[in-house]
Amino acid sequence: MAEPIVRISHLNSWYGRGRARRQVLRDVSLELAPGQALGVVGESGSGKSTLAKCVLGLVTDITGTLEVNSPRPQMVFQDPYGSLNPTKTVGWILEEPLRAAGVRDRAARRQRVRDFLPLVGLEEEHLARRPAQLSGGQRQRVAIAAALIQGSKLIVLDEPVSALDVTLQAQILQLLADLKQRLGLSYLFISHDLAVVYQLCSHVAVMTGGEIVEAGDVDEIYDHPRHEYTKKLLAASLALD
Amino acid sequence: MRRKNWYLTIGLILTACMLLFTALGIFWTPYSPTAVSAPDRKAPPCTAHPFGCDQLGRDILSRTLEGAGATLTIALAVLAIGAACGLVIGALCGYFGGPADALMMRLCDTVAAFPSVLLALVVLAVTGPGKYNVIWALGVLFIPSFARLVRGEFLQYRDRDFVRSARLMGVGSLRVIFVHILPNTWPTLLSGLTIGFNNAVLAEASMSYLGIGVSPSEPSLGYMLKDAQGVLFTLPWCTVFPGLVVILLILGVSLLGEGVRARMGVAS
Repeated sequence: MAEPIVRISHLNSWYGRGRARRQVLRDVSLELAPGQALGVVGESGSGKSTLAKCVLGLVTDITGTLEVNSPRPQMVFQDPYGSLNPTKTVGWILEEPLRAAGVRDRAARRQRVRDFLPLVGLEEEHLARRPAQLSGGQRQRVAIAAALIQGSKLIVLDEPVSALDVTLQAQILQLLADLKQRLGLSYLFISHDLAVVYQLCSHVAVMTGGEIVEAGDVDEIYDHPRHEYTKKLLAASLALD
Repeated sequence: MRRKNWYLTIGLILTACMLLFTALGIFWTPYSPTAVSAPDRKAPPCTAHPFGCDQLGRDILSRTLEGAGATLTIALAVLAIGAACGLVIGALCGYFGGPADALMMRLCDTVAAFPSVLLALVVLAVTGPGKYNVIWALGVLFIPSFARLVRGEFLQYRDRDFVRSARLMGVGSLRVIFVHILPNTWPTLLSGLTIGFNNAVLAEASMSYLGIGVSPSEPSLGYMLKDAQGVLFTLPWCTVFPGLVVILLILGVSLLGEGVRARMGVAS
C-alpha cells in the first residue's frame, strides 16, 4: 500500500489557554490513503471539526504525530453563502487561488479557469456573476472549484452538502465522487449524517467526546456497528430516511 | 417594483448644487469678498447684492461663496487625514487583534474621551491658528472614530469562511485585508464618511467661530458667523445665508450617504 496522505497517531489537542484550556481531541489515530475518502462522523462538539482544522494546520496546541503528505490541503465549507466573497465575481474568485499560487500571467489564469469550469458543471456565463446571483448548488460548485484549482490533492470537506436540499445533495455528492476519480483526490469528509457519508466514503471514523470510538470499512460499520454511539447515530439517520 | 430612493435623489441634487456653488466661489465672485464699500453699508438683500451687505459694506454673497470654498477644503482635508489613518489603523487592529490592538484602542479611547474641539483648541493654542494647523489638528482628532468603525467591521469579517478560505489558499495578510475584506465594508464606511464630513464642517465652523480657525483674510463660513453675531438682529442676512449654506451642505451629504447605503443594502 502507498504511503498514507494523512497519518495521525495519538493526537491530542487543546483549545484556550491557562485555566480555560480544555482538551478537544483525545488520543486520535487514523490514516488516509491516497485516493481514499474517509468520513468522520459525530455530533456537534465531538471534535470532528477540530480534527479537520488540525489536518489543515490551523491548530497549533497539539501533541502526538500529525503527518500531512500533501502541500496546501484545501477546504470546502458547509455554507456556500459564507465561503464566497460577496463583492467579487465568480471569475475573480476562481482566479484568486492561482494568483496566490504565483500564476502571474492573466491569460494563463483565465485559460485555467475556463478549462476547469466543465469539471464542476459550471458555464462560462457564470464567470461574470457575483455569488448573490447564483443558486446554492452553483455556489457550492464554485467553492469546490476554488478549492481544487490550485491542484491540491487533499481536500477537507466540512459538511459540504448539509446546507443544500436533498436533490442538490445528491448532485453535489455525485460531483465530488467524479472529481475524486478524475483528479485522484483524497477526501476527509466531516459530517453528522451517516447516510451522506455512506454515499461518498469507503471508510468511516465515528467520533464522540473528542475520541474515535469506532473506525473501519463503511459497509462493515453500517452492517455491524459495535459501539453504542454508532448504533444510536445509525438509528437516527435511518429514521430520517 | 422597487421603492423610489428619494434620499439618494434629493441628496444627489442638493450635494451637486452645493458643490457647484462652492466651485463657483473658487473661480468667480460678484465682488471682491474683502472689498469695503461705504455706500452699501448694511444694505439688505437687493438685486445688486442678493445676500445683502454687512456693516462694512462687504458683499455677503461673495463672502459666502469664498467661505464655502474654504470650509469645504478644510473639511475634505480633515476627512482625508482622519479616514486614511483611521482605515489603516482600524483594519490592522481588527484583523490581527492582540496586544497592539488593545493598546491602540485604549489610546483611541483616551483621545475620544475629550471633546475634539476642546483638544483642537489646546493644539492650536500651542501651534497657533491658521488653515493648515486647523486641518492637522482636526484630522488627527478624527482618527479614533474612523479607526473604531473600521475595526468593528474587520472584527466581523476576519473569521468569515471566505477569509479563512483565502488564508488556506496562501493569500497574504495585506491582500486579505485590503482586497478581500475591505470592499465588504464600503456601505458602513461610506455612511461613516458622510457623518465624518458633516462633523468636519461643523468642527471647522465651531473653531472659526471661536476665533482660532482660519485667518480673517480668508473667511470661512464659521468665521463669517462669528463676525456677524454682533449684528444678528439688526442685519440678520449676515448670519442667515452663511448658516443656510452650512445646513444645506450637511443635509445634502447626509441624505446622499443614507441613500447610497439604502441602495447598497438592496443590492447585496
